[in-house]
Amino acid sequence: MTERPALTEDEFRRLCEYLYRRTGMVFTEAKRYYVERRVWERMAETGAASFAGYFALLRTDTRDEIQQFVNAFTVNETYFYREEYQLKCLTNDLMTERVSDKQAGDPIRIWSAACSTGEEPYSIAIWLLENWSRVDEYFIEIVGSDIDTRVLELARAGTFGKRALMRLPAELIGKYFQELSAERWQIEAQLRDSVSFTPVNLVEPGQTRQHGQFDVIFCRNVLIYFDDTSRRLAAENLYDNLLPGGFICLGHSESMSRISPLFDVRRFADAIVYQRPGTRT
Amino acid sequence: MTAVPKTVLVVDDAGLVRVYYRSILEEAGFRVEEALNGLEALEILLARPVDLLVVDINMPQMDGLTFLGTLREKEGSIASIPALVTSTESADADFAAARAAGANYYLVKPVEREQLVEFARMLCGVRS
Amino acid sequence: MPLVRKPTQPAEPPKASAGEVLAGLASANPEARWTAARAAAELADSAGALAAALPQETDARVREAMFTSLARIGTRESLRAMLPMLRSNDAALRTGALDALCSSHFAAHELLPQLLSDPDVDVRILSCELARSLPSEDASRSLCTLLDREAEVNVCAAAIEVLAEVGNQAALPALERCAQRFPQVPFLTFAIRLATDRIRAAGSRD
Repeated sequence: MTERPALTEDEFRRLCEYLYRRTGMVFTEAKRYYVERRVWERMAETGAASFAGYFALLRTDTRDEIQQFVNAFTVNETYFYREEYQLKCLTNDLMTERVSDKQAGDPIRIWSAACSTGEEPYSIAIWLLENWSRVDEYFIEIVGSDIDTRVLELARAGTFGKRALMRLPAELIGKYFQELSAERWQIEAQLRDSVSFTPVNLVEPGQTRQHGQFDVIFCRNVLIYFDDTSRRLAAENLYDNLLPGGFICLGHSESMSRISPLFDVRRFADAIVYQRPGTRT
Repeated sequence: MTAVPKTVLVVDDAGLVRVYYRSILEEAGFRVEEALNGLEALEILLARPVDLLVVDINMPQMDGLTFLGTLREKEGSIASIPALVTSTESADADFAAARAAGANYYLVKPVEREQLVEFARMLCGVRS
Repeated sequence: MPLVRKPTQPAEPPKASAGEVLAGLASANPEARWTAARAAAELADSAGALAAALPQETDARVREAMFTSLARIGTRESLRAMLPMLRSNDAALRTGALDALCSSHFAAHELLPQLLSDPDVDVRILSCELARSLPSEDASRSLCTLLDREAEVNVCAAAIEVLAEVGNQAALPALERCAQRFPQVPFLTFAIRLATDRIRAAGSRD
């Protein structure tokens, strides 16, 4: 294996600035190792002989290089209880604020806006049932959506392999899943039936509007793939789909700061979250 | 006793400007943080307070005056962080607009090394 | 089980008419203006109305929606309608217009030459940013042409900022000439050196 030199200060800075401008992702010094490793991987894959050569490929987005680069940080492979810090934030802080002016029996609506094969909305459901002391006081509606109808079919079927369940303690697997065959589990029927899945293109206001307003939206690692105009539009659509005071959670490295000024930023103990201003009347 | 270095948050979408100010301010003993626009600056300030803001006016997503105005309305000590506004504009109306937004001082670009250090020290209460 | 699923799929709401959009844009209620501003994107003819409403709009969110709609309409008319805003004394208006223009590739090709020759210094400064939307070679060429005739330091600085990203080897002479014209401006010396280093690093690849 040939020696892999570290990126210079200026190279790292250029790369981070460029990626921030193109995708809204923030890479800090803390992520340097991962960023460097990814650059080396992509350099090897594309045959670029130097950082400068690779950066030129990235700049021109040759063969979707931006998506290729970013994929490593968004982790295509999804699993249950991924990004647990946001689930913690949900029950530690967000739900408390959302119910502060709700009555018992009121609905709480949560949208997993890029739900893929369903791990995220099902995770939210299980997490709430397991961790939220007030879960029985309200009617909680969880909606999962994706632009890809094939993954939605898989989400509805609710079957998963071992990797998807790797973060779940055995006790929860036993409680919420049925083992269908060797290393194949299915979400138990009642839980499966209580999450709805629907196709939505986030960039089409005609498609987003009809789903009403939510208390919390999870929209992780989707906006980074849009161009500037589409990103703005998606942010406006998501804003319209939030109740006043409602929250939106992005992916771990994403920031709304490059995307849209519509939301207020809130810092909680577990996560940074964005909020539609205003209180419910 | 060694004094704790003061931290400056440089808010400017121009990468070369940020590198320039960083090199000047670090040499003068400051710690430097960076933000590319007003929204990113607000987000950073939630995580860690700073001693001084150096804020450009023309930035995407949220311009410097909107940022400053928003900051000054917030609760707590974050609202009164001293702010040095930089701009390419030199008309009186622009000084007035900056002051109205909450700037403590205003420098016309290109900012010179000595000016930046002198005013950073002054606004941070650091002896020259 | 406290989880509930709503089985019904609500129908897509009807599109607003031109009359409704115009009325909405003039409303005293910012919510109504927001809705109208968003709906205006579906009506190409509303570019004029949006552009007229923008300088008066005090609500930052409504303004954002208006700019997004102008960018989405994306016609020559809608993009040109934002040009006067680049000259505005209102920082939010001029940066909002620039953001919207930068999100359109069409705008860069269509408008950049005239913008880089604009008699207004501030317009030239802002417009350098628009060059980023062009293919690197075109951007580099346009900015070098600007550099060679530009007397204002801050315009040069803006051009060098973008050249540091898009510049190619052919830009090096213009950068060098600029350094020689402004030896008394330390920031330009610094910026040109950094831009040159970056361009040279790109050029030395195999």
